[in-house]
Amino acid sequence: MAGPTTPPATGGRVLRRTTTRNARRLTAGTVLISLHQVCEALVPVLIGVIVDRAIGPGDGTSLLWWLAGLAGLFTVLTIVYRYGARTLMRALAEETHLLRLEVAGRIMDPRGIETELRAGDLLTISSSDAEKASYIIDYIPRATGAVVATAVCSVTLLFIDVPLGIAVLVATPLALLALHLATPRITRRVAEQQEMMGTAASLATDLVSGVRPLQGIGAEAAASRRYAEVSQKSLAAALRAARTQGVYNAVSNASGSLLACGIAVAAGWFALRGRITIGEFLTIIGVAQFLMAPVGLLAVIPGWIAEARASADRIARVVSAPVLHTDDGAPAGPAVAASPGLAVRGLRYGTLDTIDLDARPGEFVGIVAHRGTDADALVRVLSGRVVPHEYDGQVLLGGEPLGGISLADARRTMLVEPHRTDLFEGTLAANLTAGADGDADPAAVSGALAAAAAGDVVSAHPEGLAYEVVERGSGLSGGQRQRVALARALLARPPILVLHDPTTAVDTVTEQAIAQGVRDLRHLAGTAAFTTVLVTNSPAMLAATDRVVVLDGGRVVTEGIHAELGATDDDYRRAVLR
Amino acid sequence: MSQQSEQSHQSEQSEQPDEHLLPIANSRTTWRWLGGRLRERPAALALTLLVGLLGAAAAVVPAYALGILVDRVRDGAGSSAILGIAVTIAAAALVGGAATGLTSYLVARLGGQILAMLRERTVSRALTLPVTTLERAGRGDLLSRVSADVAEVSNALVERIPVVISSTLLGTLTLAAMSSLDWRLGLAGAVAVPLYVLALRWYLPLAMPRYAKQRKTVARSSQRLVESMQGRRTVHAYGLQDRHLENIDMASRSSRDVSVWVFDLFTRFVGRVNRAEFGGLSVILVTGFLLVREGTVTVGQAAAAAVLFHRLFEPIGMLLFVFDEVLAAGASLARLVGVVKMPPEQEREQEQEQGPGQVSGAPGQVPADASLDLTDVHFAYAGGADVLRGISMRVPAGSRVALVGSTGAGKSTLAAIVAGSLRPRRGTVQLGGVSPAALGTDGFRGRVALITQEIHVFAGPLIEDLRLASPGATVQRATEALTTVGALEWAEALPEGLDTVVGEGGHELTAAQAQQLALARLVLADPAVAVLDEATAEAGSLGARLLEESAAAATRGRTTLIVAHRLTQAASADRVVVLEHGRIVEEGSHETLVGAGGRYAQLWSAWESRTPTSPDNKVRLA
Repeated sequence: MAGPTTPPATGGRVLRRTTTRNARRLTAGTVLISLHQVCEALVPVLIGVIVDRAIGPGDGTSLLWWLAGLAGLFTVLTIVYRYGARTLMRALAEETHLLRLEVAGRIMDPRGIETELRAGDLLTISSSDAEKASYIIDYIPRATGAVVATAVCSVTLLFIDVPLGIAVLVATPLALLALHLATPRITRRVAEQQEMMGTAASLATDLVSGVRPLQGIGAEAAASRRYAEVSQKSLAAALRAARTQGVYNAVSNASGSLLACGIAVAAGWFALRGRITIGEFLTIIGVAQFLMAPVGLLAVIPGWIAEARASADRIARVVSAPVLHTDDGAPAGPAVAASPGLAVRGLRYGTLDTIDLDARPGEFVGIVAHRGTDADALVRVLSGRVVPHEYDGQVLLGGEPLGGISLADARRTMLVEPHRTDLFEGTLAANLTAGADGDADPAAVSGALAAAAAGDVVSAHPEGLAYEVVERGSGLSGGQRQRVALARALLARPPILVLHDPTTAVDTVTEQAIAQGVRDLRHLAGTAAFTTVLVTNSPAMLAATDRVVVLDGGRVVTEGIHAELGATDDDYRRAVLR
Repeated sequence: MSQQSEQSHQSEQSEQPDEHLLPIANSRTTWRWLGGRLRERPAALALTLLVGLLGAAAAVVPAYALGILVDRVRDGAGSSAILGIAVTIAAAALVGGAATGLTSYLVARLGGQILAMLRERTVSRALTLPVTTLERAGRGDLLSRVSADVAEVSNALVERIPVVISSTLLGTLTLAAMSSLDWRLGLAGAVAVPLYVLALRWYLPLAMPRYAKQRKTVARSSQRLVESMQGRRTVHAYGLQDRHLENIDMASRSSRDVSVWVFDLFTRFVGRVNRAEFGGLSVILVTGFLLVREGTVTVGQAAAAAVLFHRLFEPIGMLLFVFDEVLAAGASLARLVGVVKMPPEQEREQEQEQGPGQVSGAPGQVPADASLDLTDVHFAYAGGADVLRGISMRVPAGSRVALVGSTGAGKSTLAAIVAGSLRPRRGTVQLGGVSPAALGTDGFRGRVALITQEIHVFAGPLIEDLRLASPGATVQRATEALTTVGALEWAEALPEGLDTVVGEGGHELTAAQAQQLALARLVLADPAVAVLDEATAEAGSLGARLLEESAAAATRGRTTLIVAHRLTQAASADRVVVLEHGRIVEEGSHETLVGAGGRYAQLWSAWESRTPTSPDNKVRLA
């Protein structure tokens, strides 16, 4: 997703890449915007000329000519701005889009990334930070335009009076340099403020996500108070930043004004002594006044860039976060057999203490764990959310170790349906066929629905399969969500299917139907195409399996056929009897 | 070109299905809300305006002073004439700088306080929204309001609003200064005002809907992001990341196109503003020319007028440049106010439309006991057929009733109605003889707790998660609650015990642990009535028995309604109610119903047959 080049590791690199990949539009926009600034700088020059040549001597013809010149200047000014700004906006919008996609792509990277950031932070990074970082495309032309305008002003001033022009050329960078010293402090304050805002947004995200449990115990008020506390901290950080920014604004504004003031006073002194004309004096005043804008801009721009940089840093933290599975050399790895079995050899991970398991091709195996943590650990390893070097032992798909085949191959071969069901926005049909590569015929869909006893979910809605699933399937009951997810898993027809407690929200009678449905769909007599591993201790489900493996204390304690184990093993009976 | 893109966007807009986004306040409501908050802080508001005015005055002074200097030059005054003027404008520069800095801080403070209040109320309102409303609107919409919109408004506060205030003040003072030179010069300067206004009046009606559209597109885009991030496990298990990225790409792309489209309009607006500048400036120059020739004003005064007006280009430009951002912030503000202003009566109105049943008894009544009475309860989801059809039942105070039935029988719906999450279409629910309406939301929620299968571990230290149920609960009380539900052992074994950060971004708890945590919250909330909907089943069958014990301990002494998926839960209840297709088909004690040979007996035998050895399976919960 991230392309062939390595992702930028620092905010600075993110910004540098932004400028290089938008070089053409950025250049064109910068030229046009600088031209616009030149036009703006010429306006006070023309005002001085008009006073000097037309108003002073009372020359009407001259007034008309120079007004025509002013009109021409404004026309050029408007046109270059429009095209320059539009060009830059296109670049900026495109860059925001690209950064947003890059962050999202990284977060969604199938290899997984290591990050301590929360969903709320990630959302902030992919939305507002992507935009703030892209604004560098706006800042560069503005800064360049300001520099050009300052240069034009200086040339004008030099043309009128050399010592005065030199004074401006020296004083302006000095004032800027002094202001620049304050920027690290501003950056720090802004970063603090942004971080607090992120924390507040994360908390809001978390509380809103848990709104149902909150309301269930009447904790809305307590949750609101908790948010209010964080919000007040965020306010305090914002005020600290505003205080620093205010001082900075005061200093930059005052120094800009003083600069203009010094120039004007010097020019006035020259004019009083007759060294320059009134028109030249006015031009100097106008230019000096105008100069405040670019100088002021140059003073605040470092703050803006710092903000873009802070955002870019956070983007860099996501896009350069290390991936969990380094897929090196794996694409060249061996292909997995058409009807693979699943084997676990000497697995130690979490609470698991050396596990050996086998699900032979075509077998329907139940796994009963006395301890929930054992089941969770096993499913975690199988699902690939744990990197092979984090556990001891091997997981073999069709004889190939999980770390030795490509991630894509592994995921194609084995589907681990998470216990916590996620449905997505879209129609029921789209949700059901999510894993079927879109080539699910209606018969297959209704077959999977029947096997998962999910037919009633479709028939409960007048739209049928076209029913729009709203966020996370919240319009459906827990049982309905589970059965739709199960149908989705069955429809994907993975060679190996691992189900983790797929029927916890389903009643006993329906559970029995589902057990039979899964068996009929994947394990018809004489076929060995599909292997199914069912982690559960629902007896209704276990009764349909070929064989049951029992885990306790992180080890395999016994194996056998469900009915036999039930008849002979007291521990087993307790585990599945409930 | 922009005309074309406008049309294409409009047609695209009409093709899009109307989404159920949360309400957005209209501009009048938004302004009224904002005005109300400002009036609550008169001193801060007055100080802010005063300092702003000082800053503007300091900015006008130099140009005015320089006009005087021009005339002194023309009068041939000595070079010492510069001194007074130099001191004046230098002082103005210092005062102006200080005032500008102070204004930006004061505005940030005033606005920041209002913003903090607004976001707190937004979250607070969001948390009390009926779950049905929130889910229909989609959480992404709400999340983008509390993150992106809050950020938008706060940016505006720090960077834009000070500009708006200082530019407006400066414009006003400049016109006053020009009028003081000669009223006709003031009038000439005022010519630009209608030109600016015309430009704005052309722009605003076109821009407003574009900004609204931009907000919506952004909301949609972040909704896509949230969904994919939350469902990351499933996305990866099915290899759906490419498809999800494609969706995110599409949403983000349209968000990109809309922002370009919005900006193109803005550049046309800038063209009109330039025309207004040229118009104003040329009228002043011509007026100055005529007045100088007439001898009524000096060349210095005419020049000062032109300089004063030119001096406005930058601040007015800034004002107009930030106007669209202020509009964008205004759109964000409207979205926040929209949530805050959502009428809390909405549910009650629905109820009044749909069923008169609820309103019985005067407010402030106290329930006689913790018994539940349901009389002829009917319920249908929006536009659907009745899923509950005339349920009447009684749960005596302190007793346990189990709801049994196959999928779709209406058990969860009934549980939600009893817990007050849903309102019956017809019929009544009473707690100790008092209706929920008479108890008020707080009174009702304080007495009836609901644990659904939706489990959530709140991010932060474990103890803070528990304290949501009982703010300020001591460590001892929290420990006791954990002991009650049998969770203390693992909780204390966590890396930092009860202070371990759990939830999103923290230590990951197992489903069973999360569920026990939910039960511990119930113990701390200490309601008279507990409604458990599949609470034990969600942990997976693995920890189910343990959880059943936890649930039994957590609900001991409370009136309890359990949605039983596992018949052991029913067998241990005082009474069993069997639902089919929204009706009660059987009720009675476990023994009675098993003996009766009806639907329950049938279910029970199915349950028994799943255990391979039936002889000794009179298993009960401990």
